[in-house]
Amino acid sequence: MVGWSGRRKTLTILLFVAPTLLGLLIFSIFPLVLNIFISLTNRGKFHPNPDCTQTIWKIVEPTCWLGNPPKGLAEPFGFQTPVYQNYADLLGGLFGRAGLVALLHIVIALLPLLAAWYLNRRFDRQLTRPVPSWMVWLGGLVGVFLVSRLADVPGAYNTLLRAGNFIMVNIRTILYVVVCMPLFFTLGLIMALILNNRHIKGLTFFRVILIVPWAASTVAIMMSLVWQFFFRERGTINQLVGLLNIKGPAFLNNSLWAFVIVVLVNLWYTYPFFMVSLLGGLQSIPQELYEAAEVDGASWWKQLINITLPLLRPIALPIIVLSSLTTYKIDAVVWSLTRGGPIAGAGKPGATEFVMLHAYKQIFETQAYGRMGAFAVILFVMLFAATLYSLRITRITKGAYE
Amino acid sequence: MKKVLFSLVGVLVVASLLASACAPKATPTPTPKPEATPTPVPPTPTPKPPEAKKVTITLWHQWGGDYLKAIEQAFQDYMAAHPNVTIDLSKPEDTANALSVAIPAGEGPDIIGWANDRIGDQALAGNIVPLDDYGITMSFLEKTYEPAAVRGVVWQDKIWALPESQEGIAFVYNKAMVDEKYLPTDPTDFDALLAKAKAFYEDTGKYLVCNQGLGNPDAYHVAPIYFGFGVPEYVDDQGNAYLGTPEALAAAEWMVKFSQYAPGETSHDICKAMIVDGNAGAWWTGPWAIADLEAAGIDYGILPMGKPFVGIKTLMLSANAVDRGNAEVALDIMKYFTSGEVQKKIALVNKTIPAPTGAVQDPEIKALATLAGFGASMNLGVPMANTPYASAQWGPVGDATTALWTGAQTPQEAMAGAQAAIETAIAGMK
Repeated sequence: MVGWSGRRKTLTILLFVAPTLLGLLIFSIFPLVLNIFISLTNRGKFHPNPDCTQTIWKIVEPTCWLGNPPKGLAEPFGFQTPVYQNYADLLGGLFGRAGLVALLHIVIALLPLLAAWYLNRRFDRQLTRPVPSWMVWLGGLVGVFLVSRLADVPGAYNTLLRAGNFIMVNIRTILYVVVCMPLFFTLGLIMALILNNRHIKGLTFFRVILIVPWAASTVAIMMSLVWQFFFRERGTINQLVGLLNIKGPAFLNNSLWAFVIVVLVNLWYTYPFFMVSLLGGLQSIPQELYEAAEVDGASWWKQLINITLPLLRPIALPIIVLSSLTTYKIDAVVWSLTRGGPIAGAGKPGATEFVMLHAYKQIFETQAYGRMGAFAVILFVMLFAATLYSLRITRITKGAYE
Repeated sequence: MKKVLFSLVGVLVVASLLASACAPKATPTPTPKPEATPTPVPPTPTPKPPEAKKVTITLWHQWGGDYLKAIEQAFQDYMAAHPNVTIDLSKPEDTANALSVAIPAGEGPDIIGWANDRIGDQALAGNIVPLDDYGITMSFLEKTYEPAAVRGVVWQDKIWALPESQEGIAFVYNKAMVDEKYLPTDPTDFDALLAKAKAFYEDTGKYLVCNQGLGNPDAYHVAPIYFGFGVPEYVDDQGNAYLGTPEALAAAEWMVKFSQYAPGETSHDICKAMIVDGNAGAWWTGPWAIADLEAAGIDYGILPMGKPFVGIKTLMLSANAVDRGNAEVALDIMKYFTSGEVQKKIALVNKTIPAPTGAVQDPEIKALATLAGFGASMNLGVPMANTPYASAQWGPVGDATTALWTGAQTPQEAMAGAQAAIETAIAGMK
């Protein structure tokens, strides 16, 4: 295997990776670059076409490449003045005085949780804990509750909601993720614990049945429409309560109900993912640990808290992070359930108009390409950071069994 | 090897399924045509399309339901008379976005069948071309079509489309269900309509009328109410919005009261199901719904109520037709389809209001009850503008109306929000 000159080797390697590089360039890098350029312009319904005489658009804009650019009556789009205007429109409200003060209030309200975390770490280092960890956490939560009353967190929340549609949909989406995750995990864990019990008859049958929603998520839109039919004004639920002579509400016209329904349906779709993953985790926990605990006289609950949950951590963390990211980006399920509604008024996002739905509506209904280009860039930065962080978590937890 | 074969076969099967799904619907079985002369003669001496060359003309349209059958028949007749021409009808899901992608790529249709309010933004984007360059003159337009239809297709002194029919909505009721005393007598008296809806609801437990713009964002279907209360237009030619006016507020407050006696959630399909199943006495709708009502065997009457939008359905010539060299054939089809003869035949089946003068003046058409009903409503109506400003109205008015209908906003908040949203959109355009 001699005779490989350095240059030839490099060339061969380059040729081998060329198809991948080309694909990356065409399908990942180029759209990203084009989007960044568009996010600096006023491209939209009223300025849809590029000015192909300008060098920059000749290079990056595909409609200019074919030699037959669209010729409409509209003025071509151009760069905004200042060039970052779209970004300022989206994020401006957050960095104003009111926005910063509101953010500060929310951060202060979360301090007790930080304190609880710090206290727990200190107690862990002592030989005997003065208070159990759950009590510290509970204290932290009570602290959050008290401080948020003092710091007027609801007022701060409302200030942030008024700071712009981008911030509003982001806060709602994060709230949605925060509400969903514990529910996903708890239901998934309960189901996994039940299915892990070898004494149940017909275990395989139940395992298959309980995974059905996951399989159904391949036809998510259709299933969501079925769910929607349950909750319509003249849907299944209202027809049933109608038998009792009660006139049910139009659930999807009420912001709170719509939010609850979207959580519920997503819970139905997602718990099998948690269940299956956690079941795998449960089965990899050595049985001897439980036997030893039983000899020591530990109750079922003590075993759950001290053996099962800590050993599930390496499985649970990555799936929670992963699921948080996909929940943040949820679109089709919510779209077919509520279309982002109920409608809150002209130019205001609805209660379930999460990030992706908002982007979809702004792009395909309002055709605000420039502003939504900026939206996409900001979202990309946020999700990229979240992904990097999740990678770090997963790498750390990898070592648990080693 | 076997695996490869299998997957190949699989791909072929899927492809053929897709192809058959995409293929134009099989023509309805050769119906025994009552008309004596099936040969459709184009009304004007048209430049002969190149006979030998085979041409396929794609037409993207908005026609749906039972409405489409008579229209398809008209195009079948054209193809029978011109064997070298194939007309491919299709109805894309989301026409606006589909066009903005397809036309620059050269994959768009040759003809676009759309309402005249889209002329402005399609001309801005360069998706359609003015017809003046292809021998259509103002004198031809004025000679052939009704004056309102002519106004609807001219923008910035250029002709952008040929008008096919006019449409507007009216109070279409089920005669078997709604007594005389519940029917609106004065199309501008909304207090009486409210009282009658209340009485009907209390007497029968059913809704008097289903309007798909109340409980569903749809600025078009609520237009009769806003305009009936004296709002001149949502947006005018200069880009001024009229949602902040006292008239708009009065309309909004009326709607809040009316919501107690009307379904909370609506859509075209919900309203259709309501009137067919007898849960609503009337449907505030347009000529396109008539074919469905007749299929359901409902004996209907049509009354004017409020001041609806009067839209002109048109055929536009796409920029792609010019690039492909199909412009002349496409224009010939457009002229044929918007001619008096063809529109008369369609109107007799579909109960539409034709745009060509020749069809409107026809005694058979004049005798149609639907024409009288919808005509009376449209006489009160407000013509739909074709400026690009018009496209700024739909979203805000629809959303604001839905928000006040569900109680998410007060009438004041909703109208102020709509006004602000339209002004922002128009400022972005100027």
